[in-house]
Amino acid sequence: MLRLVIAGVTTLALLAPMLWLPAAPRAQQGVEIRIDVEGRGQRKLNVAVPPFTVTTGPESAALGTALAETTGADLTFSGLFTVVTPSVTLPANDPPSLRKTLEDFAGAGAHAAVHGLVAVRGDRLEGEMRVYDLTSGPDPRQIATKTFTVASTQPRRLAHKIADEVVLQFSGELGVADTKLAYVTGRPGAKEIVVSDYDGFAPASVTRNRSINLSPVWSPDARSLAYTSYKNGYPDLFRIFPFERRPEQTLAAFSGINSSPGWRPDGAQLALTLSKDGNPEIYVLAIATGSLRRLTRHAGIDTEPTWSPTGRQLAFISNRAGSPHVFVMDAEGANVRQLTFGGYQTQPRWSPKGDVIAYTARHGNHDVWAVGSDGSNARRLTAGPGDNQGAAWSPDGRHLVFQSNRLGGWQIFSMLADGSEQKPVTRGSGEHTSPSWSPRLP
Amino acid sequence: MATRASRVFIFLILSLTVALAGCAKRPATTQAAAPAPTGSGQTMAPPAPVAPPSATTTPPPPPPSAARPPSTGPAPAAQTPGARPSPKEFVAMPGVLKDVFFAFDKYDIRPEDAKTLDANAGWFKSNPNHLILIEGHCDERGTNEYNLALGERRAKSAMNYLVSQGVQASRITIISYGEERPQCSEKNDSCWEKNRRAHFLVKPR
Repeated sequence: MLRLVIAGVTTLALLAPMLWLPAAPRAQQGVEIRIDVEGRGQRKLNVAVPPFTVTTGPESAALGTALAETTGADLTFSGLFTVVTPSVTLPANDPPSLRKTLEDFAGAGAHAAVHGLVAVRGDRLEGEMRVYDLTSGPDPRQIATKTFTVASTQPRRLAHKIADEVVLQFSGELGVADTKLAYVTGRPGAKEIVVSDYDGFAPASVTRNRSINLSPVWSPDARSLAYTSYKNGYPDLFRIFPFERRPEQTLAAFSGINSSPGWRPDGAQLALTLSKDGNPEIYVLAIATGSLRRLTRHAGIDTEPTWSPTGRQLAFISNRAGSPHVFVMDAEGANVRQLTFGGYQTQPRWSPKGDVIAYTARHGNHDVWAVGSDGSNARRLTAGPGDNQGAAWSPDGRHLVFQSNRLGGWQIFSMLADGSEQKPVTRGSGEHTSPSWSPRLP
Repeated sequence: MATRASRVFIFLILSLTVALAGCAKRPATTQAAAPAPTGSGQTMAPPAPVAPPSATTTPPPPPPSAARPPSTGPAPAAQTPGARPSPKEFVAMPGVLKDVFFAFDKYDIRPEDAKTLDANAGWFKSNPNHLILIEGHCDERGTNEYNLALGERRAKSAMNYLVSQGVQASRITIISYGEERPQCSEKNDSCWEKNRRAHFLVKPR
């Protein structure tokens, strides 16, 4: 049962208009650019995340500490918070003591506190989130509460859900911690698809065919991945359901390449690259019927289709102007226009907010760039070291993951959408490439 | 509600700037470090990806059958026009069938490589009982998907040349490996040159 109670907001809301920040800058198309608002130099909120209180169940102290650490790491990752981690938990059901502890947190610099109360009941983990405003004077007030239930085998999902809700409370949009990454792990000639939590935890292989598996892309319902595999000898396109006992589907196995899957946001269609008619061209596959619609007709290479969030346009790569550049066309393949010029650009990825297209530009090394979907304001998001490429958006468009060899072998890194806060997501041995960030899990 | 929450956020941020400007660094607090992924052995990580999403009480999951009923079928689009010979059945002919090479991001046949192709075409024509597999390869520079397309074009360029020299197109199958099967793994020009190639294999009919 969902319950969302916000107490004590009214007073703050009355004060807020006087302190209203300038309106966010707007793109030429009139789409609000959140990322510019929340990017580099943004002042962060200090939030205290004390150990969660585990009311029933074994290993209570360790679990409570681990959950708080995970929620705290999620809030840090969001780019909106500086997390302070008190060693003492909150005496949730002892009001005078609770008030005293919250005052201590405020005295230590915290503006807000997040507390989780957890009960292990059989195969379920029930959690309650409580958020306190510590800036409201001598009497800290609880401003939000919400309950969650997850499988007891999935404690990190509870921590992620609490973090996502906290992000919602303070930013107006749900966070992205309760999501997954898919990426490619392996070496040349032997690459498998792996799925992990968004923060790199719990990697698990979803293919084990000892072939070359490439380009995993999450479907919009976060239940399946389209990917290219050589498991039948040739580069064919498949769809796998990593969380279900459900047979894999063959999406395309024509002669030539079957590659570069790009899901339309409604999940009903998949853009892809086929060379069955002579050279690499972009087609749209209707998932339900298997029917194909050809979008490009050009002697050069056309590949890497990525849909706009409205599903009315696609960006793609073509070398029709000599080297590969980013182009945009409408969903019927008409009204083609070139978005990037000169040099070598590949890997376009349309932001889920619609206003920006991330891509990879090669200037000796590769770096991740972004350009307005109207072609304006091309800017560089990474500046080495090494190669940085293959970016994928978070579902809220505030983050990107990408592959970088700045530390030696390929690893997955993340950053905010303005290029700030670059940090590794995967670590350790092995080469990790081609990340795709899932939509929020159902 | 979102607006109110945003206002709370803004108010709290401004509280920082206005009321707590001097309190930014308190010794009693520490910033949390992002945890390091540690593989499958940790206690916090589920051993397998996720449990069925039905165990949550967050916004209700979309009914599995609502959006795409036909997706429950096993294979909606497995259109394979004709049986393709398995690439594993083909063997290289070292010293007899030579590779041809390409400039970075190019797939045109250069004059010196045309001579190599002429020689290969001669062998193919005098051994008509062999089927031909042409692999297209790229160096590791450039990006994955584009290189897959580029390798396809290289194999196709070699195929078109052979056909122009009288080799039957029906004998030829092409496959692109993009940058996935380099024959040289060092990161330098001479190695990258070796990897930008079309490679020829055969098998008896």
